[in-house]
Amino acid sequence: MGDRSDRKDARQSETQARIAELKYGLYLMRQNPLVLGGSILVVFFIILSATATLIVSPEKTYTFDFSQSYCWSNPIISWGPQGAACPAGTNYILGTDGFGRDLLGMMILAIPLDITIAIVIVAAATAFGVSLGAIAGWVGGKFDEAVLRITDIFFAFPGLVLALVFAALFGRTIDTLTIAVLLVWWPTYVRLTRGQVLVEKEKTYVEALRAIGVSPVRILLVHVIPNSIYPILVNSTLDIGGVILTFSALMFLGFSPSPALPELGNLASDGIGHVFTAPWLIIFPGLTILLIAISFNLIGDGLRDVLDPRLRR
Amino acid sequence: MIFVLFGVSVIVFYLARGFPSAFSPWAQYITFRMKPSQIDAIIKQHGFDKPLYIQYWYWLQDVFHGDWGFSNWANGLPTFEVFASRFPYTVELTIAATILVMAIGIPLGILSALKNNTAADHAARIIALTGYSTPVYWFAYILQLVFFYYFYMWGLPNLPSGGVITQGLAGTVPTVTGMPILDGLIAGNLRYTGDALWHVILPAFSLAFISLGYLARIVRASMLEVLRQDYIIMARSKGLSERTVVYRHALRNALIPALTLTGLFFAGLLGGAIITETVFSWPGVGSVSLRAVFQGDSNFLLLFSLVTAFIIVVSNLVVDVMYAFLDPRIKY
Repeated sequence: MGDRSDRKDARQSETQARIAELKYGLYLMRQNPLVLGGSILVVFFIILSATATLIVSPEKTYTFDFSQSYCWSNPIISWGPQGAACPAGTNYILGTDGFGRDLLGMMILAIPLDITIAIVIVAAATAFGVSLGAIAGWVGGKFDEAVLRITDIFFAFPGLVLALVFAALFGRTIDTLTIAVLLVWWPTYVRLTRGQVLVEKEKTYVEALRAIGVSPVRILLVHVIPNSIYPILVNSTLDIGGVILTFSALMFLGFSPSPALPELGNLASDGIGHVFTAPWLIIFPGLTILLIAISFNLIGDGLRDVLDPRLRR
Repeated sequence: MIFVLFGVSVIVFYLARGFPSAFSPWAQYITFRMKPSQIDAIIKQHGFDKPLYIQYWYWLQDVFHGDWGFSNWANGLPTFEVFASRFPYTVELTIAATILVMAIGIPLGILSALKNNTAADHAARIIALTGYSTPVYWFAYILQLVFFYYFYMWGLPNLPSGGVITQGLAGTVPTVTGMPILDGLIAGNLRYTGDALWHVILPAFSLAFISLGYLARIVRASMLEVLRQDYIIMARSKGLSERTVVYRHALRNALIPALTLTGLFFAGLLGGAIITETVFSWPGVGSVSLRAVFQGDSNFLLLFSLVTAFIIVVSNLVVDVMYAFLDPRIKY
């Protein structure tokens, strides 16, 4: 009898300790104005991307209304189709892009795509990296060695080149570009998870679990991976920003499926030849990318401070 | 290390030659003036009619004989020659960027650690985070817009928007290293060096801005770590001034991880220069490799990725050695 209630007590106090820890973490995060700012921005962008099509009508934004869009008084009209670009003003808050479409509308329509792609890439890289890294760290031996050598190869790559070659070969679709970025991104997670699992593996609780006859698969899945997941999650948050940057860079370098696609890098690349005559084409989409990336990075940076007790000062 | 290079070459080779693309794999070896029979001979000579793994073997043999193939888009010059003439420009840009990263990142990190959790720390953190959240291409264009166009419009001394040297000065000093700044110095032509320096500022800064945040964060973390150690408390209790404690005692140890990382930054910047070079029309290997991607030039891509991979692997090695050398507690 006593044994069972002891165990229950232990479990309860453990849960309480975890809740206290979580509360303390949240408290620390609230204390940090930068993390708070980042969280507000992220929530804002996520709400914006969920409601983008409600705020801005895609049909209306994609249609080129010639009578409205062309800025005939614009002196830069003489140099081709880009003459459709209006500077910021009363009709269009941020001006129009090279096709005479409202730039602000296009940017709002682009945000869901960018954020979704970034989350998909990071989630896929994390899932793949964690599974491979955990198995490599847990099994060890030749398999571990092989996985390490393969990640070595990917680490030695100039990342963008691999993505560029892949994108150039398999055509300019969003799917290809997603895989191209993923190809560059997964090795970090393998290494990170492997390192964590190697540390956890040697701890006494694993030994204890083994001693009471828990199956190795169960130890790995139920105990070791959850215990080593936090640094990986921090890395994922920090990577969302990086992935958005890389993806939009690929678009910017000319791998966009269509110039009309609302994607921030793609919108910015419209402005390449017209930096000095129509700077808003590049300024605003780029600024939006910067804001999205920095909001995720602020959270990730704060999370790292909170989850790493050594930095809690 | 050999294994890594082998792996990189296999992946690039299979990607670049193994899939149908707009360019036939032998396109880089032929010219318009060749007869069909000559083309057939070339296909045979490099094994393009054989399966991929045998093609790879042929390529490997060529490489060990110092033959890296040709790059058609560069007037059919040997790929190695194209690479060798462009590489110094990239190295110059990368070194300039690395210097900027260290010159800004290290003081920023120290400041952040000393003024831990104050407004100065937060400001430094924002700069660092902005650095690695900025789209490089966007930042590069903004720099161009402000320092070239607007400065020009306002009648201020403006920085050039691209290139390595002013048109009129090009070719006035003999090429020794291929890096304009060094070449100017060697020839004793200070005007040339000055002009080259003037040209390198914007690209180097746009390249450096992304990485200096990482360095600042690392310096901050290691400085905080060191400042809590017993020997610092000892130094303080001896009555040494705060200045001496920080700069003579703490900084030296705190900079070890930062210094060793500089090698990695250098390698990373080398690979990351593609976008910056493209925006600033810098004639280095990065901008050229983008052209090679669009032209289906597998020869150049193979050489480029192998050299970059080699540099990355070597700098990793150097970092490990340096680490052990600077911190005698670490033994391998």
